[in-house]
Amino acid sequence: MLHLYYEAGRSMQVFDRKYFQLLREISVARYKLKDQSTFLGFAWSLLHPLIMLGLMFTLFSGRVGNQINHYAIYLLIGLVQYNHFSSSTNRSMHVLLAMKSLTADAIFPKELLVIGSAIADFVELIAAMLVCLVIAKLSGVELSWPVLALPLVFLFQLTLILWVSLCLSCLYVFVRDLTYIYQAFMRLLLFATPIFYAPSFLEKGPAQYVLWLNPLSHLLNFSRSLILKGEIVPLAQMMLFFAVNLALLYGSIRLFRKCEPVFAEYL
Amino acid sequence: MKPVIQLDDVSKTFAGLKQRRLIKHVRKYLSSNGSGFKESFALHQIGLTILRGDKVALVGNNGSGKTTLLKIIAGLYRPTYGRISVDGRVLLLRGVGTGMVDELSVSENLFLYGVIYGMERAKIQEKFDEVMEWAELKDFASAELRTLSSGMRARMAFSLARHFDTDVFLLDEAFAVGDKDFKEKYEEVFRNEKNGDKTYLIATHDLDFAKMFCTKTIWLHKGRLMAFGETESVLQQYVRPTQMDPTI
Repeated sequence: MLHLYYEAGRSMQVFDRKYFQLLREISVARYKLKDQSTFLGFAWSLLHPLIMLGLMFTLFSGRVGNQINHYAIYLLIGLVQYNHFSSSTNRSMHVLLAMKSLTADAIFPKELLVIGSAIADFVELIAAMLVCLVIAKLSGVELSWPVLALPLVFLFQLTLILWVSLCLSCLYVFVRDLTYIYQAFMRLLLFATPIFYAPSFLEKGPAQYVLWLNPLSHLLNFSRSLILKGEIVPLAQMMLFFAVNLALLYGSIRLFRKCEPVFAEYL
Repeated sequence: MKPVIQLDDVSKTFAGLKQRRLIKHVRKYLSSNGSGFKESFALHQIGLTILRGDKVALVGNNGSGKTTLLKIIAGLYRPTYGRISVDGRVLLLRGVGTGMVDELSVSENLFLYGVIYGMERAKIQEKFDEVMEWAELKDFASAELRTLSSGMRARMAFSLARHFDTDVFLLDEAFAVGDKDFKEKYEEVFRNEKNGDKTYLIATHDLDFAKMFCTKTIWLHKGRLMAFGETESVLQQYVRPTQMDPTI
């Protein structure tokens, strides 16, 4: 039976063993290529938040931070998660163009390039958060068993990054201005996320709605509750967050696959 | 024999895709008096059928539409008009080692290259020594790819490509950079493949290779199908086109 032209590019199916083997190779390749031209390489994933921490702690610890316990750790957790989200989505957005020869000339599901890039960055989040835990312990934070639920937060963050990255990388093929638009958006997000302030710092009304709609603010709340308060956020809230992000991930994969057949023409 | 690739009046245009600036879009639109962008045909009404086991050369000058045709068959481009059907798994090899990464080692690249083209890791592992030996790169397994010459890369890529398993191979001048020894080696591989049931469509400027390996040839010129048939007869028309049509 003859099949239509667009099926020719999709001989590899999801959940096929070859699909995962290719995902593994792409993730490893992306990981090895990351920060390769820098002297400090991997260390930048923690150094960057630490530099930001130094500045923000100096600026905000007096007024904004005086009502938050362990403000330095509070800041560090927020900066690590925000920085990871920002750098990972930014790198994934450009991956189809960065690996142009693969995108335009090879036949395989191109979402693997984006997912592989996000997974390569994900390793850094885990390492940076583990260092956060060590610093928290050393600075006197009482870590208790809820901290064991931290991998759930990692999973939520990965899901969030995946759907955002799939949408961005797909749109970036057609609209290169997205680099600048996204840079501006990330600057706004820095202030629209409770990184250096507590959510209660904002007045009720539109500002609180912005926080509620911002998935990063939920993620920061989850991890800070686990590390600083030793409490697990209500399960229903976590599951709702996960379900919404899974639905968005599904939608973004559909969008990506709809656009995929024309990527080669626009690169 | 069963048809593997069938093209019915396939045309491809690339109207205005390269104009990214908004102002250029507007200017171009206005200069066309609102009638939209003028379409330029990369391929124009191509109709042909390739059967299972056919070894087909694709010849034509640069810009004749060879790569566009291969990419349409591979599913990387959509035809603007017409219909194309492909029966079976397709593999497109363009350039030397598409997907290889300069900063990774030769052995890492071998695994990456292999899985991109559908090989299982276990099979690559199993063939690893033989592949490196055939490519004469046994001492370079841990070297960074960027330290290899283009000829060495071609040997490495082709050495692994010998083990790719698919129904239809689309090759676009894939291994044209090798030296005389390499050429002899890869021609030997193709000679052994000549009577196999795999289908090959090879874009090439090497007419001797086309005569040696391909039983049929497609000649494209400025996106139009000039001839398709027995290699000898099509190549005769291709090398003496002006006798047939003085406008070419």
